[in-house]
Amino acid sequence: MVEILQNLVDGLGRGSIYALLALGVAVIFGVMHLLNFAHGEMITVSGYVALWSLDRGWSWYLVVPLILAASVLTSILIERIAFSRVRGADDFTLLLTSFGVHFVVSSLFILYVSASVQNFRGPGWIHDTFSIGSLKIEVFDATVIGVTVLTLLATTWLLQRTMFGLSLRAAAADFDTARLMGVKSDSVIRGAFVLSGFLAGIAGVFWLMRAGSTTPSGGTDPMLKGVLAALIGGLGSLRGAVLGGFALGLAEVLLRSWLPDGIANLTEGFVFAIIAIFFIFRPGGLITVAKAERV
Amino acid sequence: MLEVVGLTTKYGSISALREVSLSVGAGEVVGLIGPNGAGKTTLLGSIAGLLQPEAGTVTFEGIDTTGASPEKMLRAGLALVPEHRRIFTDMTVEENLKIGGVTRSAAERSESLIEMVELFPVLAKKWDIAAGFLSGGEAQQLAIARALMARPRLIMMDEPSLGLAPILVDLVFDLIDRLREKGTTTLIVEQNATRMLHASDRAYLLRSGVIVADGTGDELLARTDLFDTFVGG
Amino acid sequence: MFQRTSRDIVAPFLGSIVLFGLLLGGGLLYQMILGGGAAERLVTVMLIDAIIVIGIQIYVGNTGVLSFGHIGFGAVAGYAFAVFAISPSEKLKRIPNAPFGLVDVDMNVWLALAAAVAIVLVLAVLLGIGLARSGAESGAVSATVITFALLFVTHEVARNWPDLTGGARAGLTFKIGQSLDSRVPILLVLFFSILVGRLYAQSRSGRLAVAAREDNLAARAMGVNPMVQQMVALLISVVVVSLGAGLKVYETGSILPDLFFFDYALLTLTMLIVGGRNSVTGALLGVVVMTIGREFTRRLGQDGFEFFGIGLDDAPLDWVFRENLQTVFLGLSMLGFMIWRPLGLLDDWELDGWAWRRFGSRSSVKPEPLAELEEVPTAVLNAEGINVRFGGFQALTDASITAQSGEIVGIIGPNGAGKTTLVNVLTGMVTPQEGSFSIDNRNLTSKPAYALARTGLVRTFQNLRLFGSLTVRENVEIAEFVAQDHRSDRVLRDTDALIAEAGLWEHRDRRARELDYGNSRRLELARAAATAPSFMLLDEPTSGMSDSESSAMIEQVRHMAATVGAGVLVIDHDLGFITGISDRIYVLDQGRVIAEGTPAEVQANKAVQAAYLGSAAPT
Repeated sequence: MVEILQNLVDGLGRGSIYALLALGVAVIFGVMHLLNFAHGEMITVSGYVALWSLDRGWSWYLVVPLILAASVLTSILIERIAFSRVRGADDFTLLLTSFGVHFVVSSLFILYVSASVQNFRGPGWIHDTFSIGSLKIEVFDATVIGVTVLTLLATTWLLQRTMFGLSLRAAAADFDTARLMGVKSDSVIRGAFVLSGFLAGIAGVFWLMRAGSTTPSGGTDPMLKGVLAALIGGLGSLRGAVLGGFALGLAEVLLRSWLPDGIANLTEGFVFAIIAIFFIFRPGGLITVAKAERV
Repeated sequence: MLEVVGLTTKYGSISALREVSLSVGAGEVVGLIGPNGAGKTTLLGSIAGLLQPEAGTVTFEGIDTTGASPEKMLRAGLALVPEHRRIFTDMTVEENLKIGGVTRSAAERSESLIEMVELFPVLAKKWDIAAGFLSGGEAQQLAIARALMARPRLIMMDEPSLGLAPILVDLVFDLIDRLREKGTTTLIVEQNATRMLHASDRAYLLRSGVIVADGTGDELLARTDLFDTFVGG
Repeated sequence: MFQRTSRDIVAPFLGSIVLFGLLLGGGLLYQMILGGGAAERLVTVMLIDAIIVIGIQIYVGNTGVLSFGHIGFGAVAGYAFAVFAISPSEKLKRIPNAPFGLVDVDMNVWLALAAAVAIVLVLAVLLGIGLARSGAESGAVSATVITFALLFVTHEVARNWPDLTGGARAGLTFKIGQSLDSRVPILLVLFFSILVGRLYAQSRSGRLAVAAREDNLAARAMGVNPMVQQMVALLISVVVVSLGAGLKVYETGSILPDLFFFDYALLTLTMLIVGGRNSVTGALLGVVVMTIGREFTRRLGQDGFEFFGIGLDDAPLDWVFRENLQTVFLGLSMLGFMIWRPLGLLDDWELDGWAWRRFGSRSSVKPEPLAELEEVPTAVLNAEGINVRFGGFQALTDASITAQSGEIVGIIGPNGAGKTTLVNVLTGMVTPQEGSFSIDNRNLTSKPAYALARTGLVRTFQNLRLFGSLTVRENVEIAEFVAQDHRSDRVLRDTDALIAEAGLWEHRDRRARELDYGNSRRLELARAAATAPSFMLLDEPTSGMSDSESSAMIEQVRHMAATVGAGVLVIDHDLGFITGISDRIYVLDQGRVIAEGTPAEVQANKAVQAAYLGSAAPT
């Protein structure tokens, strides 16, 4: 019982980060039909911002807002420089454009910083734990879950209650009609990249705290998790993306604890395989977004 | 108020409109009738900025707006209620209406929301319900209300009675009358030709992308050759 | 027939020889000029890359689905090859705990390569099913992500299963007595790959896959099952990729997880994109261009590089010319081509195709006009009591329609009457809640679109769906393939004769997307007729046509249908057109059939007039 609860907490902690990443992916997919393979670049850039500022002895309290700002800025820049030029292109072009962005960003870090892993210190409390009964909870996990819940609530508020949120949802549902209502396509797409960058920034803060290091391809892993989670949830569905993130996190933790020791480090491989099988049976993801075939 | 001259629009290689010209004066209710496939929806889309015309001009209130984006056209004061309503089914009635008023200030928006409640009491009852659950008539009213939220000076409607039961069709025409009384200029595409001609000040008959007849509603109703022209005899 | 053999077999064969010769010749020339081991190795690596890129092209080019997974397949092949080919004594040192008794396996190199290919084939069948299902359901995007996931699975397994793969650091180093010291195997496989790539693209399966790439829905409506064709393309492509990957491992002498991962996926995909993904010639050009570009930027980035005697290190551009510049170059090439030239340098231009058009194509004689069939094979289409509801909306109520071969049946009704829904039911896109539909008593309710076409009901589309980048002739040939496979009991008309019959003879070698509107419509009709249908369902064939074009269309439809002995169901809004063409007419209004009869009867019907002019309907 305790073990299950323990896994649940771990899984939620992990899933929280994935959910934030997936939500960012889903927001972009909603307005641009772009599955963003460059979604991790925000975290790559953030990693170097963290490295640079922590090396100067700055406190994490200062680094966190810096990371958020860097992440949002990166997101905007990528949209301006690359994605704005392929708006409305076919899936093939969009996918490869984001793949290209991923490589340009990571290779620029290889070129100008270093190709190798560089470490920085995490915050002091990263390994602290507290207990509820016999349940041992990491402060870190609790923080992640707490902040994620707050972020999701704030995002929900943004999407439900503000005009920007309404515009974004309307544009994601039916871009042309939203424009007929006066929603500006430019600002809604840019806004989506800001939101997506912000969400990636929060996820990035936790990701980097835990990793304690950065590499030029440091964004690949979080990007993959975000994209997969969004896909599990059902592309185009924001709720599905969050759900998919938690599902992915839980699946990883549970698998890791159930798999026999010898192959436990193959967890990721198993997770991918399970996802592939999941798609064979439910190709639309958890929440299928109706897509009429236009004749 | 709206002046369209020599408008030609293509879908790929299909000429959907060929040198169409029409005008709508302030305060008028103008009907646009014609068989399915005549190019009516294309015409509205080309005026509203959803489609880029190949040739011709669109002038709205004296300003050349040819090829302007839909968001610009709306800000200029022209709204389109699209074919099949295209309401946002996952959003509530209130949210749909708010989107309609996205270009206006919060205060103006709330003011208009109250107006819409008065104008469409049925929507008030479904205020917090996802629009996907509305019936056809309710959805159509929502689509029109949503467009009115922007306080357009010219509202264009694409087949507002499509798929509605006869009693609801009455309601739509009733609404058109009320809008006329409030001084809103309206351009309406309708299949329901007879009723449209009764309800409009003037009308154009479009067929195969070309305007083949125009005049006041009564003039067109008196034309005995209308049936043949209409259905392509 | 001779024409086709020369176009689809002889020309690609000769073309492959030339392409192979050019690639090899260029490589040898480079080696000769620069000399030294480095140049030699660069050429060898390029030849192997070419194999793998062609492998990817066979899938990506012909199906239009972007795949990262082929590099994952390459990883599987590479590891399988290494594990099989490394000698048992060597394995005992490196992977003593290998599962499945693999330590004792002792194969010679070529057997190991064959075994690796076999393993990849099994994996590809499994993955292919998933790809086909998700691709059909939610589009190419999710198929691509599945391939992406495959790349990661293989990488994860390679890193984290040291018992099998040697892990992330040690890897598997090749010690099988000798390493690859001859280029002959590479050259053989390369020539084989080019040949397979070209022959497949010209083959029936390849062209059906391309048809589905151009327009999936239209291909299905013609009787093509895209899932099958994509699977064939996948299997052929992974064989080529596996051979290339095996050789790459053999040539490198070792395998590590990163050998077949992101960087290599980027390299190969950039090569493919830059050259032109829809062409084997393009893929090879991309390999050459990117190999040169990458080598050049790599040298630029190195210290002490001189270019025509000018040292670049002291130049003010030193901040650009840094180590690893080639990766930036790759990424930027990919981005640039995607933004400004997504179809690459060559698009779908093929050397042999060009040469054939230029030199091989005889000016063939315009075929004699086709006589209409005297004896029409009987067929009956029957739709009974169709009810369709969407949510609370009743789109069709008890709609019943029959048609016989040889007859032209019109279906009309005002907008919103349910015509589109009826078309969707008859084409398998909507499943009715009640009612059934059959041809000659074979139940066709909610069968997939391709099955309908194979049973004899072919459709056209209101918005025109041609295979745009294929020529007029190729468009019709796609239909002919399907007819040969599934409609052989019918009279199969000659493709060229049908093209001539549609008035498209002068345009036969033009791409469909270059045709004007009227010709496009006629091509769609000819293509439908070429499937040897029992019934043709024409959805708004005159939409966007002027009156005179419409009346010309009447003759064309009649004649074409009589030529292949098909019945016609024509749905249109234009009463003039419908009464002009039909033997019998059904009138729909508000989801019901409100009238049925000859054109004269229907025109006189009060309910019909009411429905059209919109006074309150008396029914």
